[in-house]
Amino acid sequence: MTLFEVRDLRAGYGKVDVLFGVSLTASKGELIGIVGPNGAGKSTLFGAIVGTVGLRGGSVFLDGEDISGKRPEDIVRRGLSLVPEGRQIFSGLSVIENLTLGLTGRRDKHGEKGALERVHDLFPVLTTHRDHQAGMLSGGQQQQLAIARALVADPRVLLLDEPSLGLSPTVVKDVFDRLIAIAESGTAVVIVEQRAHLVTRLAERTHVLRAGKLQATLTKEDAADEAKLTAAYFGNSGE
Amino acid sequence: MTTRLRLQELLGPILIVIAFSYVVGLQSAQGLLIVQSTLALFVMVLALHVFVGNSGVLSFGHGAFAMFGAFASGIVTTPSNIKENSLQLQNLYPFLVNLNLGMYPSLLLAIAAGALVAGLSGLLLMRLNGLAAGIATFALLGVAYNIFFYNNRIGPGSQALLALPPFQFLEEPVVLTVIVMLAVYLFGISRAGRTLRATREDPLAAPALGISITRVRWIAFTLSGAIAGLGGAMFAHVAGTVQVQDYYLPYTFMTLSMLIIGGSASLWGATVGTLLVTGIGQILLMMEQQKPILGIVVHIPNGTRAIVIALSLVVMLLWRSEGVTQGREFKIGMPKLRK
Amino acid sequence: MIQAILDAVSLGGVYALAALGLGLVFGVMRLVNFAHAELITVASYTLVMTHQFPLVVSIVLSVVAASLMALLMELLAYRRLRGSNPATMLIVSFGVSVLLQKVYELVFGALPRSASVATGLTGAFTVGGVSITIASVVTIVLAVVILLAMGYLIERTKLGLQLRAAASDFQTARLLGVRSNRLIASAFVISGALAAVVAFVNVVGNPQVDPRFGLDITILALVGIVVGGMNSLRGSALGGFIVGAVLSLLNVILGNGRVYAYSWMFVIVIVILLVRPGGILSKFATKERV
Ligand SMILES: Nc1ncnc2c1ncn2[C@@H]1O[C@H](COP(=O)(O)OP(=O)(O)OP(=O)(O)O)[C@@H](O)[C@H]1O
Ligand SMILES: [Mg+2]
Repeated sequence: MTLFEVRDLRAGYGKVDVLFGVSLTASKGELIGIVGPNGAGKSTLFGAIVGTVGLRGGSVFLDGEDISGKRPEDIVRRGLSLVPEGRQIFSGLSVIENLTLGLTGRRDKHGEKGALERVHDLFPVLTTHRDHQAGMLSGGQQQQLAIARALVADPRVLLLDEPSLGLSPTVVKDVFDRLIAIAESGTAVVIVEQRAHLVTRLAERTHVLRAGKLQATLTKEDAADEAKLTAAYFGNSGE
Repeated sequence: MTTRLRLQELLGPILIVIAFSYVVGLQSAQGLLIVQSTLALFVMVLALHVFVGNSGVLSFGHGAFAMFGAFASGIVTTPSNIKENSLQLQNLYPFLVNLNLGMYPSLLLAIAAGALVAGLSGLLLMRLNGLAAGIATFALLGVAYNIFFYNNRIGPGSQALLALPPFQFLEEPVVLTVIVMLAVYLFGISRAGRTLRATREDPLAAPALGISITRVRWIAFTLSGAIAGLGGAMFAHVAGTVQVQDYYLPYTFMTLSMLIIGGSASLWGATVGTLLVTGIGQILLMMEQQKPILGIVVHIPNGTRAIVIALSLVVMLLWRSEGVTQGREFKIGMPKLRK
Repeated sequence: MIQAILDAVSLGGVYALAALGLGLVFGVMRLVNFAHAELITVASYTLVMTHQFPLVVSIVLSVVAASLMALLMELLAYRRLRGSNPATMLIVSFGVSVLLQKVYELVFGALPRSASVATGLTGAFTVGGVSITIASVVTIVLAVVILLAMGYLIERTKLGLQLRAAASDFQTARLLGVRSNRLIASAFVISGALAAVVAFVNVVGNPQVDPRFGLDITILALVGIVVGGMNSLRGSALGGFIVGAVLSLLNVILGNGRVYAYSWMFVIVIVILLVRPGGILSKFATKERV
């Protein structure tokens, strides 16, 4: 059953239109990828979904409810969290303070303790550095913190904007393993990646976003087909 | 951003200012006074425009330059015998007592005083980032006020200088104003002016292009200090008196409002703002004084005028933060849509 | 001598409170609220107009008045400017300030209103042969208690955590669920309450309230937050304290020249800013906020 649906989304900044009708869906426990070149509008898509970028048309449904046009603080309370591009952790605050802020977006306040325990299981390193200033963590640890901070709100849908940015291959693998675990626990996970090969092999479907439109959709099986992948990515698929 | 001289952008505002001056100024003695003081304020607004409009950094400190200009010009144009005999000038430095200049040399002195104070204070202020600089200019105004208010060796302290020669003819302030408009326009299209506007639009791009923001801001600050010195002195020679309180917060507020209501980014904005605020102010003043406007007497309580002007500033900024002109320059005909 | 130090500390404390109120609002919306002056003024008028009531009632009313006024400013004016350029917001707040001064003038008249408030606090007592004014001691105690309470609020409570987070990156804070309207409103209410404390101390010292009553202290506190470093609350409070304490000491040191205390203080400020253009507690510049 579809948990999350984006329908014909249009968005932009000032006089510039960036997205020209983007549609995609994700079900419970699914991992969806979005790839595309710089400036394609990937971050804009996420911004429009979570309410930080102005919508120009289309809608976003979460579990049947239309959440388009709502404020970011209300959207997160409905169970949709974003791990933004560049992590955006509060580097002056401690690790635990960052996580506590993440709790703000929970719908039910009872499970707070459980949520923090779950973080401890997934990212033990954060517990070790609980009282350290977040800015002092390594890049990989910061990315874990950013994901954990979103997770403690118990999202039903988790959006991640370039989680691999600036991380070494081993750390990237580590992070992606946990994202798979998160998806398996029932959360719909949507990942934007610059480095297409990272997601195409894992994702149920990977959409290629170019110039504000979804140009192609690849399945896990397509990922093995190098030629098809390149064609989809660079847009010489015969139109 | 082109270097092409668009003469209508300069001549339009100049012709409108001249038309306003003659139409209102030749009506009556009171009209003449209104025109002269409006022009003196307008020169101050132009000074603010040179700095605030081009750099995007606020200044609350230009009243300080106006003070220096007004007192410099005021002290040297007050006749020596009056300086010797006035009670409030007993402690004046002797060389100031004996120094006497005509009105026009004194205006040059005012320009120099404004430029000097702005140039020196700008060395520090322009090193701060934009917002901090804006706030720190309050300190500048505060210091100037503090010094002039208490120091009776360089001026009358909190008292007034009373016997300045006032402008004789309408033409005097008109010519001065036109010269300033020309200077402001030329600065705007100069290399420094264009560079400064580029830094306003994108402060991060400037260092990348090898432009020192501090330097171009300093140039504009000093020039606008010079003009503010002149504006302050002109204001003094309209009424023939100077008092330090006249250049403090209300003066600052009035001139900043004029600039911002019109639109700080253009010469046209400064012109429209000054004339608009003056016009509204006069109408409200007549209402407060129960004088007929087009034969109708509307009475409003005293003090309403100030409230309306403050309110229009706030509403203007909430509604159109670029001012009435939206930062555009004067242009004849319908604005054409261009890509 | 001891009295001079006490006076410096107490004036510094008051300015620190004023600067903290400004810093809180600046933190959440990058607005330098010049009209903070009118919050102090409205609280002062309230104290004077209700002086016949029991002191506690009168104080509570003044806190309510200033907080309400702060909320009103936010709702009617500043809300529409969120995310605008800080220079625009500063000039709007300057306009709001003048507007309210004129309104006060219309309502209360241009001449000072006065009444003796908290008469128990005037006078002095002697300790070991040194005469000490009650007001300075009470002011210090009050300032310390409130600064500690604010420290607790900001460092230890959820609201404080949200305020700090919003100050460094409002957009991300909202993504995590921080309710922007509510948080900004809280910041304004707290700054109004702080303004009322400043008003109380000032009215006790000088019960001549006119429409410009809060102006001087606000301008100095503004300079204080620049000196301390605009991007941190500690910096704001510290800068406010320095400005107040230095001004008070200069008044003693300069003797007959004390009329120029203001100018000398700014010379000191300039020296500090030459050494640290970003303020005493400046770190790296934080991100632009919403
Ligand atoms: N705040 C903004 N204001 C104006 N234009 C913007 C803004 N943010 C992005 N854009 C423009 O929108 C377009 C899409 O940007 P977006 O950040 O969504 O791309 P992206 O696909 O995430 O790229 P990247 O892979 O580099 O992160 C770009 O052309 C960009 O210039
Ligand atoms: Mg992006």
